[in-house]
Amino acid sequence: MGNILVITELQRGKIREASYELLSFAKKIAAAKGHSVCSVVLGKDVAAEAEAFAKRSGGPVYTVANPVLENYNVDAYCTAIQAAVDKAKPELILVSHTPSGWDFAPRIAARLDAGFVSDCFNIDATGDLVFVRRVFGGKMDARVAVKSTPVVATFQPGATEACQDSAAGSVEALDVAIDAGALRTKFVEVKAPQAKGVDLTKAEIIVSGGRALGGADKFKEVIEPLAEALGGVVGASRPVVDAGWLPHERQVGSTGQVVSPKLYIAAGISGAIQHVVGMKGAQFIVAINKDPDAPIFEVASLGVVGDLFEIVPALTKAIKAAKG
Amino acid sequence: MKILVYLKQVPHQDARLDVSGDGTWIKEENIKFEINSYDSYALEEALKIKDQDATSEVIVVSAGPERVVQALRQALGMGADRAIHVRDDSVDATDALGLAKTLANVAKAEKPDVIFMGFMSDDGNFAAIAPMVAELFGVPHATAVIALTRNGDTFIAERELEGGNLEVVELKAPCLIAVQTGINQVRYASLKGIMQAKKKPVDPKSAGDLGVAGQLAAKVAIEKIYVPAKSATAEILQGSADEIAEKLVAKIKELGLL
Ligand SMILES: Cc1cc2nc3c(=O)[nH]c(=O)nc-3n(C[C@H](O)[C@H](O)[C@H](O)COP(=O)(O)OP(=O)(O)OC[C@H]3O[C@@H](n4cnc5c(N)ncnc54)[C@H](O)[C@@H]3O)c2cc1C
Ligand SMILES: Cc1cc2nc3c(=O)[nH]c(=O)nc-3n(C[C@H](O)[C@H](O)[C@H](O)COP(=O)(O)OP(=O)(O)OC[C@H]3O[C@@H](n4cnc5c(N)ncnc54)[C@H](O)[C@@H]3O)c2cc1C
Repeated sequence: MGNILVITELQRGKIREASYELLSFAKKIAAAKGHSVCSVVLGKDVAAEAEAFAKRSGGPVYTVANPVLENYNVDAYCTAIQAAVDKAKPELILVSHTPSGWDFAPRIAARLDAGFVSDCFNIDATGDLVFVRRVFGGKMDARVAVKSTPVVATFQPGATEACQDSAAGSVEALDVAIDAGALRTKFVEVKAPQAKGVDLTKAEIIVSGGRALGGADKFKEVIEPLAEALGGVVGASRPVVDAGWLPHERQVGSTGQVVSPKLYIAAGISGAIQHVVGMKGAQFIVAINKDPDAPIFEVASLGVVGDLFEIVPALTKAIKAAKG
Repeated sequence: MKILVYLKQVPHQDARLDVSGDGTWIKEENIKFEINSYDSYALEEALKIKDQDATSEVIVVSAGPERVVQALRQALGMGADRAIHVRDDSVDATDALGLAKTLANVAKAEKPDVIFMGFMSDDGNFAAIAPMVAELFGVPHATAVIALTRNGDTFIAERELEGGNLEVVELKAPCLIAVQTGINQVRYASLKGIMQAKKKPVDPKSAGDLGVAGQLAAKVAIEKIYVPAKSATAEILQGSADEIAEKLVAKIKELGLL
């Protein structure tokens, strides 16, 4: 029946793991709906990676090779993807929900007059195709059903296993003209993160506070004394840094630091996926949150449902007493 | 510069959410609403340009039921010049593409030099509308922008990537910038601003006015929302604050960290 087009993503010349995860979703949908899977690899040098992908994907793997695709560029990517879409005429286009994916995928959807659903972590292909995604920052899930195709869908990296099949696919290079002079968004450079004053990645104990703290003064009053008593360091969720209560070097998460301490205490942090990817590698996680449904309890080893302004000072006092 | 800012009114971040009777959204009765966090930062970027160049005009646009006038009034109080309220049940029930078509037609009518939006909404979490509006309005865009500088009609935007990397891109007006939270420090509405806001116009528009009536059938439909069953859950400690603290101390000792 119809086609599913998987848009792969190169990172430092290699196809990302997330692209192989997309392939797993694509194959699952294809099996249920009688679709065929095709893919596209875009970049400067693509031949070897396209071959590698074809060995797992089967089906045609289209390539668009062009020096302007070396760094992500929304206009160049949309032109290249449009060529693959013209070729595959897909009913479904799958993209990873990454900084490039979320930038071009809605744009492609609008160009194709297609439906759009983002940041999905599961599918249900038993009836109308349904995408499952989080809403309200992870407090609820939503089932979003396809009513008319084509549809562009982005998927959360890490949401499923990478496809490990071995298959016989073919690679077909597409001839696409991209006028570098006509690109309206110009790539300038990628800046690496600056050296930090504190290195959370080396800490054994991290006590992190979230938006619930309500102000910089409360960090000083409540979170810092606990971190000090434990001989640990203070971390934070993103809203704390956005509000200027603590500097960015304290932020844990996908756009902060990825930490793996022996003990991570999260106080007044809801457990949004972008925070969790930064701390789920901790050996032992204690979550303190007044909402029993908060997603943080899913990753925590021990939980306290209660007011952090009561629990944290009591804990600080008990630790000081235990140390004598 | 003529600046358009799209802002959404969303349930307050601390509101208790309950699923509505038909199961497809939340109950709106008895909860507080606020301007989407990302969109306050978008408005602030626009107002910063107006601070430098008083001839700039800042127009705020929001689609939604009557309650969104409150959000528009707040934005006017912070310094926006006028507001457009897209008020139509068919717009409120459509999907991202339908909403983007509606909002893009506001841009086509207003012809701004720059559009500021939020990268994502705090409720739907789609991160869809900005690139869609840019495409339909026919201008370049950048998402997840965490720093922005302007030199005449040229913008240098820093896009936030994974692991603290930043991608620097250059765009020329007319263009659309979708901001990340933390790009600036958002101002408060002054008392004087709030008084002045009362006299500023809020212009209502229907789907018909915007030329999208009959074009808003959702291609993807929210079937159901629900509190997910947890895949795993922590052991929850019970007792008074002091009892819980004792149990935690015992655990931390067991881990060899005390
Ligand atoms: C592209 C992108 C990148 C991002 N990167 C990051 C990142 O690197 N790091 C990050 O943290 N976030 C990141 N975010 C933001 C993320 O989505 C969440 O918005 C953020 O993590 C929420 O922070 P929070 O848990 O402190 O606040 P909220 O989600 O508002 O949670 C506050 C919690 O405190 C609880 N609470 C309130 N009062 C009390 C009390 N008295 N006692 C106990 N509990 C209380 C509430 O029940 C709630 O669960 C990113 C988002 C995007 C879109
Ligand atoms: C009753 C109801 C029914 C719905 N039915 C469906 C459905 O059937 N299918 C479906 O896919 N979705 C549905 N939605 C969700 C809705 O259409 C989403 O708002 C849309 O998909 C955009 O996603 P988002 O709000 O997460 O915005 P995002 O794309 O995350 O928002 C990005 C930015 O766009 C701007 N923006 C977003 N919304 C507005 C607005 N209203 N006014 C002005 N600016 C705005 C803001 O600048 C915001 O920061 C429904 C919503 C409601 C309340």
